[in-house]
Amino acid sequence: MATAARRPPTPLLIAGIVIGAAAMLPAGYLLLIVAGELGPALEVAVDPDTLLVVARTLALAAAVTATAIAIALPIAWLTVRTDLPARRLWAALCTLPLVIPSYVGAYLFVAALGPNGLLQDALGVERLPSIYGFTGAWLVLSLFTFPLVLLPVRATLRRIDPQLEDAARAMGRAPLEVFRTVVIPQLWPALAAGGLLVALYVMSDFGAVSIMRFDSFTSEIYIAYKSAFDRTAAAGLGAVLVVLMLVLLWINSRVRNANAVHRLGPGPARPPKPYALGRWRAPALAFCAAVVLIALVLPVGVLVYWSTKGISSGSTSFELVGALATNTLLAASFAALVGGACAVAVALLASRFPGSASRAIERSSHAGYALPGIVVALALVYFATRAFEPIYQTLTLLVFALVVHYLPLGIGAIGSSLAQVPPRVEEAARGLGRGPSQVFATITMPLVRGGILAGTALVFLHAAKELPATLILAPIGFETLATEIWNQTSFGFYEASAIPSLVLLAIAAPPIFFLSERGTVTS
Amino acid sequence: MPTSRLGITAGLLITAASIAVGGCGASTDGSDGGADEPETEGITLYSGRIPAAIGGAVDMYEAEADRDVQVRFADTADLAATLVEEGGASPADVFFAQEPGAIGAVADEGLLAELPTDILDRVPEKFRDPDGRWVGVTARVRVLGYADDIPMSELPDSPLDLTDPTFEGRVGWGPATSTLQQYVTVLRLEQGEEVAREWLEGMVDNGAVDFPDNVSIRDAIASGEIDFGLLNHYYVAQAVAAEGDDYPVEVYFQPDDFGSLILLTGVGVLESSERKQEAFDFVRSLISDEGQEFFTSTSKEYPVATGVRADPSLEVPLSEIPSPGGDLTDVTELQATIELMQETGAL
Amino acid sequence: MSVAATTAPLELRGLCKSYGAVRAVNGVDLEVEPGSICALLGPSGCGKTTTLRLIAGLERPDSGEIAIGERTLAGPSVMVAPEKRRIGMVFQDYALFPHLDVAGNVGYGLGRRPDAKRIAHVLDLVGLGGEGGRSVHELSGGQQQRVALARALAPTPELVLLDEPFSNLDAGLRERLRDEVAAILHEAGVTALFVTHDQAEALSIAGTVAVMREGRIEQVGTPEEIYSRPGSRWVAGFLGEIEVVPGEARDGRVSCELGTVATDSGVSGEVDVLVRPESVAIGVSGPQDATEAEVIARRFYGHDQLLELRLASGLTIHSRRFGFPSWHAGDKVRAWIDGPSDVLPREPVSLRSGPAGAA
Repeated sequence: MATAARRPPTPLLIAGIVIGAAAMLPAGYLLLIVAGELGPALEVAVDPDTLLVVARTLALAAAVTATAIAIALPIAWLTVRTDLPARRLWAALCTLPLVIPSYVGAYLFVAALGPNGLLQDALGVERLPSIYGFTGAWLVLSLFTFPLVLLPVRATLRRIDPQLEDAARAMGRAPLEVFRTVVIPQLWPALAAGGLLVALYVMSDFGAVSIMRFDSFTSEIYIAYKSAFDRTAAAGLGAVLVVLMLVLLWINSRVRNANAVHRLGPGPARPPKPYALGRWRAPALAFCAAVVLIALVLPVGVLVYWSTKGISSGSTSFELVGALATNTLLAASFAALVGGACAVAVALLASRFPGSASRAIERSSHAGYALPGIVVALALVYFATRAFEPIYQTLTLLVFALVVHYLPLGIGAIGSSLAQVPPRVEEAARGLGRGPSQVFATITMPLVRGGILAGTALVFLHAAKELPATLILAPIGFETLATEIWNQTSFGFYEASAIPSLVLLAIAAPPIFFLSERGTVTS
Repeated sequence: MPTSRLGITAGLLITAASIAVGGCGASTDGSDGGADEPETEGITLYSGRIPAAIGGAVDMYEAEADRDVQVRFADTADLAATLVEEGGASPADVFFAQEPGAIGAVADEGLLAELPTDILDRVPEKFRDPDGRWVGVTARVRVLGYADDIPMSELPDSPLDLTDPTFEGRVGWGPATSTLQQYVTVLRLEQGEEVAREWLEGMVDNGAVDFPDNVSIRDAIASGEIDFGLLNHYYVAQAVAAEGDDYPVEVYFQPDDFGSLILLTGVGVLESSERKQEAFDFVRSLISDEGQEFFTSTSKEYPVATGVRADPSLEVPLSEIPSPGGDLTDVTELQATIELMQETGAL
Repeated sequence: MSVAATTAPLELRGLCKSYGAVRAVNGVDLEVEPGSICALLGPSGCGKTTTLRLIAGLERPDSGEIAIGERTLAGPSVMVAPEKRRIGMVFQDYALFPHLDVAGNVGYGLGRRPDAKRIAHVLDLVGLGGEGGRSVHELSGGQQQRVALARALAPTPELVLLDEPFSNLDAGLRERLRDEVAAILHEAGVTALFVTHDQAEALSIAGTVAVMREGRIEQVGTPEEIYSRPGSRWVAGFLGEIEVVPGEARDGRVSCELGTVATDSGVSGEVDVLVRPESVAIGVSGPQDATEAEVIARRFYGHDQLLELRLASGLTIHSRRFGFPSWHAGDKVRAWIDGPSDVLPREPVSLRSGPAGAA
């Protein structure tokens, strides 16, 4: 039954507009530069070589997204719906690869699996097959981004009505077919949301692809401004990236079922009976173990190995690491709080007050995520030095940059949990005499608390690992674990980088544990 | 307003206020004060050089001059781009670049001040900006690194020889590094566009392996993945110093065709700086005898200041290494190089 | 203790609401007496749920007025927000708050610090006394529905709206709950308007039935009136099986194949007589104006039987009789009208609705 779109309350709309505009600052910066020299910028943008690189990068994004879904979907199913032993542990372990920064992950991979890597030594083999290029980039990115799909899919699986599947089984459909025809359609919103985050991440990543020696689109941007110091070309390419992002967002909104999973039957969900794996138990365990081994144990193992060498060679200062950890926590926590609040506002607008304004705000808030961190940083340098001088190179501006860069992570998590609150429930509350803000506070917020915490945790995690914007925008002397890792690895001092890396993982891991445990609508 | 809403709003306001007061955070470089405490005497340095490679020189200056140096460490090119965006509003007083292109780009935007004559005189002409806006601090040489089990007779005397089929798939290079881009620029300027183009195409056809930076080239030679690599000498020197003389990579200063190309790191003072005198002092400190000795002994680069001796581990003296004429820092030349490399598929 | 606090009727005047090109509510006029239960009955898509949502304040009417007594809730210059209307709602899927227990749900409309005695009283009223501490997840469908009702009644609303409240329950439960809910509403003395597509439901518990079709109200009346004297063929067909027998009217009497009936509808000339199968009597012998008929088919339901009869003219109609005496196919009987009937002007064949079942 059609419901007329309601107008959002003015304060919320204003908040949304401010957030959307702030998130557009990097794109605006690009436009300003491009507008200054439209001709050369266009030339670069439509150059056939550029288009080739675009195609290559899109191919990588597609491959990584597909692989991430292929890894995440079975794990989600196994850990939510079956009687797999130690389900919650597997779920947490499979979410942890998210804490490993992609550049660290790539280094570790090369260290482990590359020529003269640890694995080659361990196996005593002359030479392992090459892991560089498209394959290596694909592998590394898939392994460290699949949790972005795992989280929303698990959360949705917990909420959907198992009676639909029971009905299908009763009609004689085999379990796999039931999964394909009944469960997957209900998972579309989660798959689309997670898939979008993965695709945009691949588009904007530079660390991993450069180490894996794959020339992606961001490599072009980096060449343009790092080697040629050609701001215009870099901005032109960046603008192409923004256009690509818009295309991806459009595809995503087509694919995603906008009216997500409300329960159609009466009353809250009954937890489904776990599906007995029987003889599939061993292969299932093997699959989970393999993923955890490759995506978590291997990288952490290499880090531990290096850190022991680093400690014994005396190149690690624990006092320094303590100060770095404090800074990392500070910046990431502020970014998470502010980012979480902004994400709530945008997600509310998009789900409760749909309309062209809300859509525009939601789309524009993705602008900062698709662009490489350095572009976000330079954009804010540009605007801050011209308009917001007092906050330039303060923690405020850094937090602002982190929020702009990672906002969509929060919006995705909060948006999907908002979508799972049946609108009737809010209408019932209205009928019982509470105004809209009271309903929000007493009904909506408690029900989406899990989603809000999940979104906040995601922003926290990424803010903690962020590098280029931190280097440029943080106050002088404000070093984080990520910047220290960069210090050490840029001269090849990998062993000295291991302790900061491990501490970073230790900081980021608890929110992740929390995420996988409680990413539900009602706890 | 319901309590929880009020609570959230209050929490956010408090957070915003505390951020705005700003600049809180543990300082990690040992010096006090956040960004909002004005240092009337201290200076701000943007350094593309990591702490390990410059920290000692900074400490020396701070001790001697009894002044504080606030350092922002980041990638050289990122810093250059930042300086350009900041324009005249930059908080930086000094910029230390690891590659000449970056500092040239900043100079071309008119952001660097002319250095006083005593500073300029300390450094030979070929190691500083012709317009006096920056001076070199250290020199590194782009050399041929090779696996130590390769006999000397096999070593080619010119990088141009690396396109020979005997080297197929055995050579590593870094097209994305300024090291190689400088070399291509020199080739273009000294020997013409055609030679450069032919060489690039030849290298690509010969299966030269791409690496993102010099470190990985060195490591690849050490691991046996490749036999030869075009990289900066000091990476190998540092590894030898750290690991010992049996480190499996050696360097060969190819005598022909600028096979051994001198590349500079440079320092300049920002025109917008309000503490130019202090900044010039800092520059002086870097190119003083002590400063130069620090650099050469820690990072194994060559000193550029007149009369300073290089670290004993550097066997070939700088004077014997040819360096080209022409302004390697001209950005338009760099852009033309990039275009050529992209055309030939090297980049 | 009465729950309600009103003696004012609910009035809808000329209510209209469109969604794009679709006129969901197309000029609805209705008056519901205070303390009565009114059913809004119609097929899906007829606009009944939209009407309900307009009354609740969840949608804004394009034109028309909604008022409870003197108080206008929606009109040309007035739009009272839902939370201010003092109207309770029971949704089809109950929409209970999953994060609150039963008492929390019921007490939600009673403000920040709800009166525990009031909650207990209302829970008793719906037959869930003492269950306040239970989680809503643990409840059966019927119990959840009662909680939803209790929740709606607790703040002493002026009006309670129910949207297909029984459609999610299984058949046996549905009937039982219908009666219970009706009893609760009566005892509470509250005015209630509920929406349904199930005519048995509407007829059994409502005091007034408004039949809706394509955004308009076709007919309003007591269940008996609506059922026995449908104002149109469509209403007749919607409410149950209807037999249509052609006849002729003159001077207040109509003669047709099944006999003669009196009519006060003032029609004359060619007419159709509308009669329910249960008003078609059969017997071995009958009154003088009975016609001859043969039983063609018979469906036995235990407590009643449905017979298909072919009349002398060839017209086939149905007759519903008690379970005994049993009739069988092939029996020759006499058939006549014995019970309420309605008379409408004859319509051309193409527009005639035959013995249609309920929609």
